[in-house]
Amino acid sequence: MGLLVDEKIIVPGPIVNLAAAGAAAAVVIYTIPVALLGAKSVKIHAVNIYNNAAGATQILIGNGVGGAFAALLPALDTFNGLNSAYGPMTDLLQAESFANITAYPVALVGVLGINIQLEIIVIG
Amino acid sequence: MPDLYIFKAQIGMVDPVALQNQNVCIHYVQNQYFRKVDFLEAIPPHQCINLGALAANTQSARTNVVNLEMPDNEFGLFRWWPIDDAQIRLYSPAGIAKWQLRNVQVPIDMNIVNIDPNLVSTEIAIWENNRPAVEAFNGHATGLGAVRIKAIGYRFHTVSLESGQFASPELVKQLKSGAQPCTHIWCSGRGIGD
Repeated sequence: MGLLVDEKIIVPGPIVNLAAAGAAAAVVIYTIPVALLGAKSVKIHAVNIYNNAAGATQILIGNGVGGAFAALLPALDTFNGLNSAYGPMTDLLQAESFANITAYPVALVGVLGINIQLEIIVIG
Repeated sequence: MPDLYIFKAQIGMVDPVALQNQNVCIHYVQNQYFRKVDFLEAIPPHQCINLGALAANTQSARTNVVNLEMPDNEFGLFRWWPIDDAQIRLYSPAGIAKWQLRNVQVPIDMNIVNIDPNLVSTEIAIWENNRPAVEAFNGHATGLGAVRIKAIGYRFHTVSLESGQFASPELVKQLKSGAQPCTHIWCSGRGIGD
């Protein structure tokens, strides 16, 4: 029966550069799609991070900016010069968001920043 | 012929709505044509239209799906689904909205293959060259490289029971009264209040 099947459109988001540290510098890494009818939400399916900065740090993913920032997931480790991939194979939780998803690094050394890309599941 | 009806929903792919020598009534807008099927064949899944690239948060022009036009004396039965993440509104023909409720016109997106795996809710029929039209809306903040739609179904060649070589006024009378079986096939949408 079709109704027992999960809805699962999986699409990649854009590659976004996180150029500054701290919640006040959080930037949108995935924009909620607009629905012709009803509302759409997204679940995080996978996260790919390339740390091009000069030190290891953590990435916070959530909603909002500054004091309004609310995390969707615990901090994700990232190491300079390396890719970090989080997804179903690493038991990443499929946290759901009804608002644009933002992210920021806890600390950042160097000017090249951290590139991040989400793969999300569109619901609705 | 209890199994001849539209919108069949059993497990598996789409079934034909009429077989060889069976009678059909084609409804197109306010017209109806009583005919007999004299040939049918399956149409495998194919990409029937590519609306092309669609920028973020934009809607395409309403575009005729000319690849689903049928030859003279033929009707097509199709189920369809988008393979790119756009929301699609269908019109059949171009001036009449399909799946029009009182307040909204229901769109379809890629999730239809998960919710309705045999695509019964997308079933449409097309009489001759009265093709449908589609509009696509990209609700994402990023552009889509293409908006493609695939379709699967059947092609039916028919002969008229109302005029010409195979005319049979008595049979048409029986079909109209329900004395003889006939599959009714709607090949268009219907305007609200019509």
